[in-house]
Amino acid sequence: MEMTHAHEEGAHSPRFYWIVGGVLAAITIVEVLITLIHLPHPLLVPILLVLSVIKGAGVIMFFMHLRGDRPPYQVMFLIPFTLAVTFILFFLLLFSQHVGIAG
Amino acid sequence: MAVVERPLGGVTVPKPPETNEYAGWESWLTTVDHKKIGIMYIVGAFVFFLIGGIEALLMRTQLGTPNNTFLTPDVYNQMMTMHGTTMVFLAIMPFNVGIANFVVPLMIGARDMAFPRLNALSIWLFFFGGLMLYFSFMAGGAPAVGWFAYAPLTMKQYSPTFGVDYWIIGLLLTGIASISGSLNFIVTILNMRAPGMTMNRMPLYVWMTLITSFILVFAFPSLTAGQIALLFDRHFDTRFFNPAQGGDAVLWMHLFWFFGHPEVYILILPTMGIVSEVLPTFSRKPIFGYAFVAYSGVAIGFLGFLVWAHHMFGVGLGPLANAFFSGASMLIAIPTGVKIFNWIATMYLGSISLKTPMYYAIGFVSMFIIGGISGITLASPPIDLQQTDSYYVVAHFHYVLFGGSIFGIFAGMHYWFPKITGRMYNETLGKIQFWLTFLSFNITFFPMHITGTNGMPRRIYTYEAGMGWDVYNLISTFGSFLMAFGILVLVWNAITSIRNGPPAPNDPWDGSSLEWSTPSPPPAHNFDTIPIVYSRRPLWDTKYPDLDAAFDIGTKAVSRREKIEQEKARMGELPTESHIHMPSPTYSPLIAAFGILVAGFGAIYISVPFAFIAGLIGLVILGVGIFGWVRDSRRDSPYLVSQH
Amino acid sequence: MSTPPTHTTQDTHGTPSSHAAPAPMLGSLGVDSRKLGVWAFIGSETLFFAALITIYLIMAPVNMARSDAQDPKEFLDIAFTSLLAAILLASSLTMVLALAANKRGDTRQFRIWHLATVILGFCFLGGQVYEFNKLLHEGVTLSSSLFGTSFFVLTGFHGTHVAIGAIWLLSTFFKVTKYPDSPENAMDIELAGLYWHFVDLVWVAIFTLIYLI
Repeated sequence: MEMTHAHEEGAHSPRFYWIVGGVLAAITIVEVLITLIHLPHPLLVPILLVLSVIKGAGVIMFFMHLRGDRPPYQVMFLIPFTLAVTFILFFLLLFSQHVGIAG
Repeated sequence: MAVVERPLGGVTVPKPPETNEYAGWESWLTTVDHKKIGIMYIVGAFVFFLIGGIEALLMRTQLGTPNNTFLTPDVYNQMMTMHGTTMVFLAIMPFNVGIANFVVPLMIGARDMAFPRLNALSIWLFFFGGLMLYFSFMAGGAPAVGWFAYAPLTMKQYSPTFGVDYWIIGLLLTGIASISGSLNFIVTILNMRAPGMTMNRMPLYVWMTLITSFILVFAFPSLTAGQIALLFDRHFDTRFFNPAQGGDAVLWMHLFWFFGHPEVYILILPTMGIVSEVLPTFSRKPIFGYAFVAYSGVAIGFLGFLVWAHHMFGVGLGPLANAFFSGASMLIAIPTGVKIFNWIATMYLGSISLKTPMYYAIGFVSMFIIGGISGITLASPPIDLQQTDSYYVVAHFHYVLFGGSIFGIFAGMHYWFPKITGRMYNETLGKIQFWLTFLSFNITFFPMHITGTNGMPRRIYTYEAGMGWDVYNLISTFGSFLMAFGILVLVWNAITSIRNGPPAPNDPWDGSSLEWSTPSPPPAHNFDTIPIVYSRRPLWDTKYPDLDAAFDIGTKAVSRREKIEQEKARMGELPTESHIHMPSPTYSPLIAAFGILVAGFGAIYISVPFAFIAGLIGLVILGVGIFGWVRDSRRDSPYLVSQH
Repeated sequence: MSTPPTHTTQDTHGTPSSHAAPAPMLGSLGVDSRKLGVWAFIGSETLFFAALITIYLIMAPVNMARSDAQDPKEFLDIAFTSLLAAILLASSLTMVLALAANKRGDTRQFRIWHLATVILGFCFLGGQVYEFNKLLHEGVTLSSSLFGTSFFVLTGFHGTHVAIGAIWLLSTFFKVTKYPDSPENAMDIELAGLYWHFVDLVWVAIFTLIYLI
């Protein structure tokens, strides 16, 4: 039975948050600049997706304090997030017009 | 019938003063008590169940003979749509939520739900959403597009009345109610269990409610997105589902069924939980394979998200898609089968007590098996191409939804009737009523397997004579009226028992879960002392301390009394409550729900000039409700209260 | 906003002061009920936006293949929207700074950072209104193309969530300012912050998938 007095989970110094914020801003700038290079699509998409995932992970882990937070909160986010990604991938596949897959 | 002689908890804490700020009907409008809310849900659900039943009777009258003119095609379509929508969203779901609302906090040893005011918001939104849906009859016509509302029939040009808009907004209101309710259950079940009640010791009904709640919060958003898109299509000329403008009607189907299939598990899983409580109690044996039943529920919840396109085998998705969804659908039969075998094993060598709840529970298992088997055939695309859109499907889902869900709900209603009303129902009447319902149900729906296999399409308002369907339709119609009579007997039993039934003891069925340790009905604060739980069957610990039990696989069986001592030593000293603090009644959730209702009307008529004013007014009322709500939460704050 | 009834066996005596964090109200899972509820709600909203994003992604190629196609690359101003993305990310930063300030008892810093978040949120909304207006004038409407349909509904609902978040933040600000000694303030701010960060997260996804790719 839980009765522990939980001390600040994942409390960081303001300086740390500024650094994370800076990193996120930098990634955003990189993302925008990359689109100006006119890479071929199959290369551009994964790069941008990876960068966004890193940005998103930064917000989730540090701004929302999920890193180091109690497991129930982490599970409560990860399950629907996984389902959401699966949903998107499934639907993209079903509507991809590839013969035999769908439609 | 055993009586609990010793309390389960620790030190007795002074009861809270009976604050009756509101009395009479006002106490119902302002209640945040899960028991009152549960009762309102159940009564509301039952009223909608009767209305949905009348819609069914009208349909069956029309279909009783070929080429009938009792209902015009448009009216028939409205009946068909409203019957399905009502039964799914306004009857079965609220029945399940109502029973869970009353029972779950008691079963886990809590005094109320985690968010009592949110709970109240849910019940009022349910009422308002249902009323809004039915208001459509008086506002130009009810929706006539089926409960699944396929595009492009739902387009403005093909459904010119506001019926579809009422369907959308009415269900958005009940959708908010459902999602809030599920969030409430998730937090309550995870975070409000009594000391010692690990997840492994929770009653299976609580497990199923938890799983159902997760399914709900993850499945409803797909419906919401689709409904919003549909609303925009109808009022703002967007192109989501309009094929002529590049939209895709199949997109609607995918969005709807991604919700729609998990929805049927939302409808059945809680009732599987009820059966998992009733069967052991009336077999006087623990449930066989507790862990298997629990984890099968999890598996069903998970797999349920991967099978939706088996409702779309006739669309032409292609062999790979069909194969995947077919395989996944057949796979889901495995955890389902596991549960069924565990239920049967529970009864095997048990000391069976045939009371009405047990009849319904056994009826559930047998009817669900039939419905499940027809479901397996439907999972095969080549077979389904014959069966889809025929009465075979209608037979299948009525066997699982009526023979399954409704039977389970009736089992639960009879089982917990003494606890909720404080009275015993009439057992003889209950048995008669069961047999009436069971027989009439099979008379109504079994012939549909035959007509469906013989080619009778569904969703038709009449049919030609001489197709080989006539006599079966007549039999079904006869059965449906017999069923109506059976339901009337149920209503009669309920009303007379509430009025004149013998007072119910705490524990009429010699149960094992915590709700039976409270008076019937329980006081507002549920437990004088929060019980401490040492096993899966806390009441047997106190009632039968000399009973042997093996608490872990492979360990030697010890008496329950001894096991309690071991657990007490292991758990150590637990802090005690200093006082009981109950949430205060308030109008705020009702006001907030009303604001959402008014805003909803604005949304329905959004393309009508000045209708947006209703939206604004609604938002203002909602704001007032929220303001009051926040004030209430400050007033009730345990931090502030603890200062006294 | 709701408070669970104290049935837990936790002793709720505590002297709330504006400087010491009160004993957190933990339930049987060892977590705060409201926070668990907000995370579950965020999970649900994740699925909602996944559906809207999916609709957009499905319609994108179909849009381009039509004769009345409207190419997002033509109509969307990456530079401007990058600014909006930066604003929202900055607002997430100010939000977490506000939370940290409140937790260590620095009222002045809390007020500055919290209000900054609200202001940045309204700046974002203003920017969205401007962008929508521009698009409307250029002939992109809800009904002009599949792009218009899916774009406006997706970003419109995101904007609605930002607006709700801004109002939530503002209300929290007033409540915390009016009752500085209320021991629930820390959790109130954290919960509003979680919702706000989520809204920012959705924008991260939208920005990449709709504007960049």
